[in-house]
Amino acid sequence: MATQTKFDTQDKHRFLLNMGPQHPATHGVLRVVLEMDGEYTMGIDPILGYGHRMQEKMGESKVWPGFYPNTGRMDYVGAMPFNHGYVALIERMAGVTVPERAEYIRVITSELNRISSHLLGIGAYVLDLGAFTPILYAFDDREDILDALEDITGSRLTYCYYRAGGVSKDIDDTFIRRTRAFIENFRTRIPMYNDLVTNNIIFIKRTKDVGIITADMARRYGATGPVLRGSGIAYDIRKSEPYSVYSQFDFDIPTGENGDSLDRYNVRIHEMEQSLRIIEQALDKLPDGPVYEKPKKVKLQPGDCSFSVETARGALTYYLVGDGSETPYKLKIRVPSFSNLSLLREMCEGMLIADLVSAMGSLDLVIPEIDR
Amino acid sequence: MSLTQELISTLTAMQVEAGETDYSKCGYHIGVHLKDDQVRNFAQAMLEKGFYLDFVTAIHVTPQFQIVYQFAKFEEACRVNAKALALDDGSIPTISDIYHGADWHERETHDFYGVSFTGHQDLRTLLLCDEDSDLKPLLKKEEKLLSIEGITRKAVENKDTKAEKTEKTNHSPEQE
Amino acid sequence: MEQIIKFIQTYSLLRMLLAFCCLIGIIFANAIVMGYLERKIAARIQRRWGPMEVGLQGWLQMILDGVKILSKQLIVPKDANRFLFRLAPLLCFTPVAMVFVALPISRSLYGINLNIGLIYIIAMGSINVFSILIAGWSSNNKYSLFGAMRSVAQNIAYEVPILLSLLAVVLTTSTFDLQEIVKAQSGPIWFVLYPNLFVAFVIYLIAGCAETNRAPFDLPEAESELTAGYHTEYSGFAFGLFAIAEYGNLFIMASIATIMFLGGWNGPFGFLSGPVMGAIWFLSKVFILMLTMMWVRWTYPRVRFDQLMNLAWKYLIPFSLVNLLITALVVKII
Repeated sequence: MATQTKFDTQDKHRFLLNMGPQHPATHGVLRVVLEMDGEYTMGIDPILGYGHRMQEKMGESKVWPGFYPNTGRMDYVGAMPFNHGYVALIERMAGVTVPERAEYIRVITSELNRISSHLLGIGAYVLDLGAFTPILYAFDDREDILDALEDITGSRLTYCYYRAGGVSKDIDDTFIRRTRAFIENFRTRIPMYNDLVTNNIIFIKRTKDVGIITADMARRYGATGPVLRGSGIAYDIRKSEPYSVYSQFDFDIPTGENGDSLDRYNVRIHEMEQSLRIIEQALDKLPDGPVYEKPKKVKLQPGDCSFSVETARGALTYYLVGDGSETPYKLKIRVPSFSNLSLLREMCEGMLIADLVSAMGSLDLVIPEIDR
Repeated sequence: MSLTQELISTLTAMQVEAGETDYSKCGYHIGVHLKDDQVRNFAQAMLEKGFYLDFVTAIHVTPQFQIVYQFAKFEEACRVNAKALALDDGSIPTISDIYHGADWHERETHDFYGVSFTGHQDLRTLLLCDEDSDLKPLLKKEEKLLSIEGITRKAVENKDTKAEKTEKTNHSPEQE
Repeated sequence: MEQIIKFIQTYSLLRMLLAFCCLIGIIFANAIVMGYLERKIAARIQRRWGPMEVGLQGWLQMILDGVKILSKQLIVPKDANRFLFRLAPLLCFTPVAMVFVALPISRSLYGINLNIGLIYIIAMGSINVFSILIAGWSSNNKYSLFGAMRSVAQNIAYEVPILLSLLAVVLTTSTFDLQEIVKAQSGPIWFVLYPNLFVAFVIYLIAGCAETNRAPFDLPEAESELTAGYHTEYSGFAFGLFAIAEYGNLFIMASIATIMFLGGWNGPFGFLSGPVMGAIWFLSKVFILMLTMMWVRWTYPRVRFDQLMNLAWKYLIPFSLVNLLITALVVKII
């Protein structure tokens, strides 16, 4: 959070505009200082850190299971994969085996969480463009997921459900029935979203060719997730470095063509469909057995280890360095939105402010995740 | 297989120390050790090979900071972890003009560790506020500070992984 | 009773004063009803309940909100131009009240009948731009200024198609007198049923949406970009006046559409067009139009500024010009 901005405005026609930290379009406490020429943004300087909690220090100052709850508190919209990355990292370091049923449950809950996150992302995005109604429809569907997840995890947003060696609680028939009912219901809802939003002429006009990210840009900035896939690169950690039991499911990686806001939006819509497919397969194949095998006392051996998972917003990497004790010597959390947001300057310079809002919304930012 | 081998041979040609690692233990395919003056050339080579920058961070160890760069590839499963030792005064050349995404990662590392990236255009604080810019929260206390050997994977283990590696020619990343 | 009426008729100043008081009441009542309907309809469109707590179905909610807003302080920002800052909401509200005077709600229910009624209403309606500009400029807030700039550009652009489309009707009736225009439609065919005037009606509706700053053209107060646009800094009743004026303008917009195209206070086929039934016909047509605009507002995203301008200058104005030409030819030939 730098108090000094980069601009040294000499041109008397230009002025600085503070977008945030409290602004409807920044979805949280992000501040973007804009150098404006009329309605055109000539310079962009995002200022982070308003929600900074030093999660990495917390990770390094307590024994490794003590960090479980923190993992769910970075990306509060899609917390499951954050859980997943951390426990899977510990499992990889310590060689802990996980019962198969637990892996299936992890996939099911992660994918449900991904759908709920995308629903919120899409709803909030369309809200940025000025349509109020779709976000409430999205919340309606999201509610079903949250209710189902609340029953088994005990929380609605900041989950702390996975453990190294399994998950904390088995799923029951009610959950399975609810999930199946949700899948059936949601399949009929997606065409409704398409009618209401995706095929809307104003929506298309506002998003098409706005905020184009080329593959080269994405590579230089390390953009991942739907932001990258909108640019036509089918990169998904679930496919490229399959973790958990993702390799056993049949699903596609939806991609866009132009890398504009519309493509990123469409990728999210299609990803929800793919998530439904994964959940369906996982429910069909769900094996019986235990869901948690308590590992022996795990000491983090000297040496480093990283683990990447695909969150709703992109690639999340936990990088841990052990020193032989139970407390990590170093824990680095690479969050997807951090890199995605760093694109903003190159993507949006010279845009109208309305396009800036559209392009920024299409990144689907969750600020506490960036600030950690 | 081909990509990792090819990359290792390219890097070795650049006199960079690179070796295959056990993905199922480390979570990355290639481990690289860099000297401080090789960082920029290495980053350039990685960009040309089509890798993206996952993150940059530092590890506070004696005698010097260890700077960690992790790269991965969109098209293939190949994750590269590079470690470089910073100079004695805690500085290292920047790669933010090669990988623009490194800009923020380096600023963050500067915030947390005080590592100065020489040549970085804009080392303002990123996540910490200006008043706390001297805090350097992730520096270890003296009694907890380890030497670089204290956090290095045991050599015995390395042999095992190498033996395993030769058996597995086609490297498929497994679950944990 | 007759004496009272005679007394009032004799003293026209008193009559106007009385009408004006009634009109202020109507404007406030309109804002309350519309505010309630807007919240309720928005809620139902969005699959929720809306206000439910105060009174049956929450019908008292808007009145209580009005009381609440009255009791709040008007905070003037430090570097604002205090005089203009306070003037702007009044300037926003007054023209609305003045326009209401000239609206023929039924055959005999109107404040004043002007033979240039249409010109008067349009002229008064344009003053609205000043108030938004003054509000945005005097707030000393960049977002407000943005809202003001957009609003001025938008209103100037959209007044042209509005005038051109209304002119088509004027050409047909050759009068600016609103009562005469309504009377011209007392037959079975309202003006909207003429093909050329139907085009004018559609153009008028789109431009009217933009003129009253309603979504999808609500750029001056585009929430996600400009926080609240020109009234960002306003609080208390000054803000309330903006809201009331907005609904007032919406009512005026719908009324003009009703008068010019939908037969005003005429029932279908001139059926039951007496003074009382006429008012009911008129109000129901106006409310149907307003509800349609609400429906649009709660469905569509917002357009971008340059798209909005393109729509006005590249489509609406040429179309209405061509339409006007055709109307002139038709009138000349027939």
